[in-house]
Amino acid sequence: MSLFREVTKGLWKENPVFVMVLGMCPTLAVTTNAIYGFSMAAATTFVLISSSLVVSVFKRLIPNQVRIATYTVIIATFVTVAHYFLKANFPPISKALGPYVPLIVVNCIILGRAEAFASKNTVIRSLADAVGMGLGFMLALVALGAMRELFAYGEIFGYTVIPNWHPWAIMVLPAGAFISLGLLVALFHVISKKVKK
Amino acid sequence: MNLILIFIAAAITNNFVLTYFLGICPFIGVSNKLESAFGMGMATTFVMTLAATVTWLINNYLLIPFKIEFLEYVAFILTIASLVQLVEMFIRKVSPELYRALGIYLPLITTNCAILGLTLFVVMRKYELIEAIVFGFGAGVGFTLALVLMAGIREELEFADVPEPFRGTGITLIIAGLLALAFMGFGGLIGS
Amino acid sequence: MNNAVRMILVLIIVGIFSGGVLVSVHNYANPLIADNEDKALKDAVYKVLPDAKNFRKITKNGITLYEGLNKRGEVVGYAFKAGGFGYQGEIEMIAAIDPDLKELKGMEVLGSSETPGLGAEITNEPFKKQFRGLSVLPEITFTKEKATGRNEIQAITGATISTRAVVRILNKEIGRIREAL
Repeated sequence: MSLFREVTKGLWKENPVFVMVLGMCPTLAVTTNAIYGFSMAAATTFVLISSSLVVSVFKRLIPNQVRIATYTVIIATFVTVAHYFLKANFPPISKALGPYVPLIVVNCIILGRAEAFASKNTVIRSLADAVGMGLGFMLALVALGAMRELFAYGEIFGYTVIPNWHPWAIMVLPAGAFISLGLLVALFHVISKKVKK
Repeated sequence: MNLILIFIAAAITNNFVLTYFLGICPFIGVSNKLESAFGMGMATTFVMTLAATVTWLINNYLLIPFKIEFLEYVAFILTIASLVQLVEMFIRKVSPELYRALGIYLPLITTNCAILGLTLFVVMRKYELIEAIVFGFGAGVGFTLALVLMAGIREELEFADVPEPFRGTGITLIIAGLLALAFMGFGGLIGS
Repeated sequence: MNNAVRMILVLIIVGIFSGGVLVSVHNYANPLIADNEDKALKDAVYKVLPDAKNFRKITKNGITLYEGLNKRGEVVGYAFKAGGFGYQGEIEMIAAIDPDLKELKGMEVLGSSETPGLGAEITNEPFKKQFRGLSVLPEITFTKEKATGRNEIQAITGATISTRAVVRILNKEIGRIREAL
């Protein structure tokens, strides 16, 4: 597979959220607006790229029996870095994302990619794969965040799209998160099918 | 009194799955059969109570006295992983029957974000040891409740004619949304 | 190399690497985080005590107060933090009271997870401004009609529980401050 395909597969064909149903907890929790969705995806992508790089560089040195433990420590380290960076430079975003930044540690996308891809492929390919998966995750989070923000406040990324919108409070509540993502997943399937034909 | 409040808040009003979105992976993955949902719930409740206790001790007797709180996430995730491993070995030795019932769910629990989320909440909310234990148990009960409810609905759903694009994940998420909506009715149970 | 030795060696190296990275990040981020928290506290105190030019932290009988001082160094009031359970989760507030502990000077919500559109109105100006000059004697009360008493606020329509929680949390904290001073 070409490097370019390695990147684009994460966006659509193997989208981590819509197709593989991974990393649902941050996807649902922080997407009350597009900016939070974007920040969360950026932090996750950072951890994904860094840990994929480290894992693929050192893959021969890590003994098989302790590989999961090693991956976990590497991931948790990068997550702590991301968490402190956000807290130091973007305190409002750090406060809004709350415990969901540390919870990147258990985001199955990251451990999944380390185990299934980075530990078996070259550094360059692992990097391409991580970038693709990160972008795919970002696509899902920004789409969901924008959708919820639009219906909740009539805004996207804080800009008014529909003036005088009567707020739908449900969209920023947990119930709205589940229902919006359910609708997006269905929409994704419809489009995928159309494209295939 | 306070302990009862913590329990109810963790199990119902701030249900981990339906308000904090923690443990969604097993919630979607293991909720198609009532029996397996119950098994998963039990195993998770057990590990949650244990994890709340052990990480509380680690945080208060290791991380805080030595001022190494920045190791929190690394320490907690390793603790949870080893706890799950220990519980698995222990159950296999002591009760093969229980192992058959819960064993297959145990490895899945390490990456269940509800466990790590729980331990982080315990630190953030500065619970006492006994409060942390009750909180862990309550969160586990809430997780089991959500999982079992979902499984009950999905078993019925097998006979329903779901529109094609919604089959699988889509309809599960929408049902979860309706459940979350229903659970909102419990809000305010504690404030008053 | 023996496999067991290699396993232990790798884990130790990973541990040292991780520890090293974390210590340096911690050293880089901590002063910035402390600054941010300091600034957030300052903003909050000056918001609830607009006539204060300066403030200092005092601790009395286990209660932390921020004593606001005007240009001449006179005490204009005490700001204090209060928190408790609302409708959905914790409500965290900062409020200020005059030096005689008779009326509130302001209230701000620092964090809450109340229902958007209903309980979340506690963070909006129409609700918050009711607390400016509100008498706390004998204690704050609320009504679903138009507020008439000097110590009365009007509840948010559809969010009585959130209103009651705010009033209860403030009354409790004011009671503790009275005892402490």
